[in-house]
Amino acid sequence: MFHSPPAKPGLTSCRSPEKETFTCWWKPGSDGGLPTTHALYYRKESSETVYECPDYHTAGENSCFFNKNDTSIWVNYNITVVATNALGRAFSDPVEIDVVYIVKPNPPEKVTVTVMEDKGWPFLRVSWEPPHKADTRSGWITLIYELRVKLEEEIDWEMHLAGQQKMFNIFSLRSGGKYLVEVRCKPDHGFWSEWSSTSYIKVPDYFHREKSTWILITVFSTFTFLILMWLLHMNRHNLKHCILPPVPGPKIKGFDKQLLKNGKSNQIFSALVVPDFPPATSSNYEDFQVEYLEVYVRREQELVLEESKDLHNSCLKSESSTSDCDSGRGSCDSHTLLMAKCREAKEGERQTDRECSPMRTEAQRRLKDWEEEALNYAHAGIVSLEMSSGRVKTWPSVFSPLPRYSSSPLDQQSSLQMAKQLSLSTSSYLTQPGHSTKEALGQSYWDLCLSSKQPHLLNPPTPVCRELQAHSDVNISSIGHKRAPAGPRSPALHTTEYVEVQRVDNKDTLLLQPVVQGCGRMGGCFQMPHGEVYSKVKGVDSDNVLLLQREGMGEDRCPCVEQETNEVTGSCHKSCTVSTTQKPSGCIYTAVPVRDEMATMANGYVDTATMCTLHTC
Amino acid sequence: MPGNIRSVSFAWMVLVYLLFCSRRASVGAAPICANAQAGCHVLSLANLFDRVIQHSARTHSISNDLHSEFEQYFLPSKNHIGRVSRNCHTSSILTPNGKDNAQRMAREELTEVILKLLVAWRDPLWHFHQNMAHHHDFNNFSSNKALEMSDMVHELRKGVEKVAEKMQVLGIISNTVSSLASPEASLPSDSAEWRLMKDYNLLSCFRRDSNKVQNYLKILKCRIVPEHGC
Repeated sequence: MFHSPPAKPGLTSCRSPEKETFTCWWKPGSDGGLPTTHALYYRKESSETVYECPDYHTAGENSCFFNKNDTSIWVNYNITVVATNALGRAFSDPVEIDVVYIVKPNPPEKVTVTVMEDKGWPFLRVSWEPPHKADTRSGWITLIYELRVKLEEEIDWEMHLAGQQKMFNIFSLRSGGKYLVEVRCKPDHGFWSEWSSTSYIKVPDYFHREKSTWILITVFSTFTFLILMWLLHMNRHNLKHCILPPVPGPKIKGFDKQLLKNGKSNQIFSALVVPDFPPATSSNYEDFQVEYLEVYVRREQELVLEESKDLHNSCLKSESSTSDCDSGRGSCDSHTLLMAKCREAKEGERQTDRECSPMRTEAQRRLKDWEEEALNYAHAGIVSLEMSSGRVKTWPSVFSPLPRYSSSPLDQQSSLQMAKQLSLSTSSYLTQPGHSTKEALGQSYWDLCLSSKQPHLLNPPTPVCRELQAHSDVNISSIGHKRAPAGPRSPALHTTEYVEVQRVDNKDTLLLQPVVQGCGRMGGCFQMPHGEVYSKVKGVDSDNVLLLQREGMGEDRCPCVEQETNEVTGSCHKSCTVSTTQKPSGCIYTAVPVRDEMATMANGYVDTATMCTLHTC
Repeated sequence: MPGNIRSVSFAWMVLVYLLFCSRRASVGAAPICANAQAGCHVLSLANLFDRVIQHSARTHSISNDLHSEFEQYFLPSKNHIGRVSRNCHTSSILTPNGKDNAQRMAREELTEVILKLLVAWRDPLWHFHQNMAHHHDFNNFSSNKALEMSDMVHELRKGVEKVAEKMQVLGIISNTVSSLASPEASLPSDSAEWRLMKDYNLLSCFRRDSNKVQNYLKILKCRIVPEHGC
């Protein structure tokens, strides 16, 4: 066995727990096979005296414990360990220490962890005490503390530096968790102590508080979800239309898909045929036509007939009249019922004109009945067809007996001319005792015989006569065209009076109103409706006679525009005034036999030839 | 318009002046009023102690940092037994080396010791700073720290003097402390010693002494006003 002197020991560490004592540990080297003793020697800073370790046992094996008396603070110690055996000695390297800087306190003691509540939320309160050896109370040692926390199942600790305080709060705990808490301390210049013994704490379950909140949230959201589902369900059709718009299928009236599937094409296509389409133009066409007749009475005639031209006539005549007259509203045309103011004229004439009176006497004698009316009516039936803007407008017009002198046969091309001639002829007819025209009147239309020489209007139609058929209602069709205003007018001013059928009363009274003529027949005429009831259909007689009565408003509505017809105007006025005595009884005209249809006044037109019948006022 | 600018600038200047005045008034340390004179902001002894203790702690930490830098810079041998002569120039000042000794020492003595130490270190630190600045051996950081250390010691001494003053006023200690007014009187005649010391030794010595000062102050505080943090 080989023996050798001991190996050099080495000082491992020296520590002081409270800065009052300290302990040094060394590590011995190999002993060399011989029992080796170790000794520790130290020397203090300012002296050369070598002292040996006073205590080798208190601190355990290979340690040297310096008690209070041997410990000097702020003094450098030079410590050496010597190993000695039989063969030799070994000195360790000297170590110089200052106790102040080797302080490592004991871990904090009496670490307590409690669960406390802060507004319903729990937290941990950790409290501890400094190690009992460390004298912090006198201020000899100042310790700072540190603690660490973790859940039981976790790995990493959560560190908290507590400073010099001996209490600490830990928040944000997991409910129902088990926590581990440890504390350690350190002097202001020294080493950290060891961790204190672990303290276990279990946080109580406060999950129920959270749970109630979650339950509330869940219930609320469920309700909302259910409501949304229900709304969607209710509106699923709309949604379906929105998202998947339906493909439009064929929507043909009368189209049957089943038939198509069956393959019977005849039935299918027959169903598609609309019987009423295309509408017949002829029947309706006339409905939209407005007919009017213009009657020009020659001044020279015995019968002074006023011609009053309404606005529409002028409109129609003039080329310029366009849209206003042409409009489908019929503002110009449709409701205009031209009534010759032959009655006033007649009256005037009768009063002032001897020609009138014979006629009138004649009429009185013979034409008490509706014959003369029929004549007039026949005249009225002749409509001049105005072509303006390519539309045919016709008015049933009542025109007074035409002046005589138009001898030329009526040219159907010129409506007004015709009308005038007709009027002329009729007037000429009227001058002569007329035959009864009852039978003529009995017909729905009037036949006018035009004969320059035989102006006997009311005779039954002779082959000589040219017949002009005039319809009493709107169906009056006339051929003609616009003619110049300065057309075949008589030199004398003729004014035609027109009466407009305003409406049919619920008492079956036909309300008429005179259409005020504009000034002059040469254009520029404008209608001035007064809105007054000019005449009123009192009723239909048993003989299908239309009884008209005039209701005047006491105004001068005699459209005697022309100055030349002043007397006529005056007479008219007088007549008007006379007539407008508000006595319906006084102004009864002989009725005009009308068609049954006419009684209904479906088209609002009345052939007011009847108006110019005997004025019985 | 210029009139407006002038008035505005004048108002602004007045405002700034007032602000600065107020700041100066607040920054300046509130004078410790010995007799609680009117207008003085009286600090309690505990507050004073806390202040000086904090100051001393700061001083010690700076000295510790400088010492560590020195050790790293010079790569001294381990344990440097031979190097440490530890002939601190303040060795002549008797200081308690243990807790018992410190606790047994009277308050006045302890206060005196503190003041002696602080006084003794004012000049060496100043020269140390000068050496460091001139030699460029150390970086600016160390030089600044040395300067700061020097200033701190100066301030600390003033603070401890004030504490002693307060304690004397309060009758806690006798009036024997005031005899340390003259700093040069404490230094031994062989004042050239400290010039011979190397800088490293100087730092080691100062590190220890600052620790002593801090510890003594704490002991004093916990002995006189133990209610806070003891």
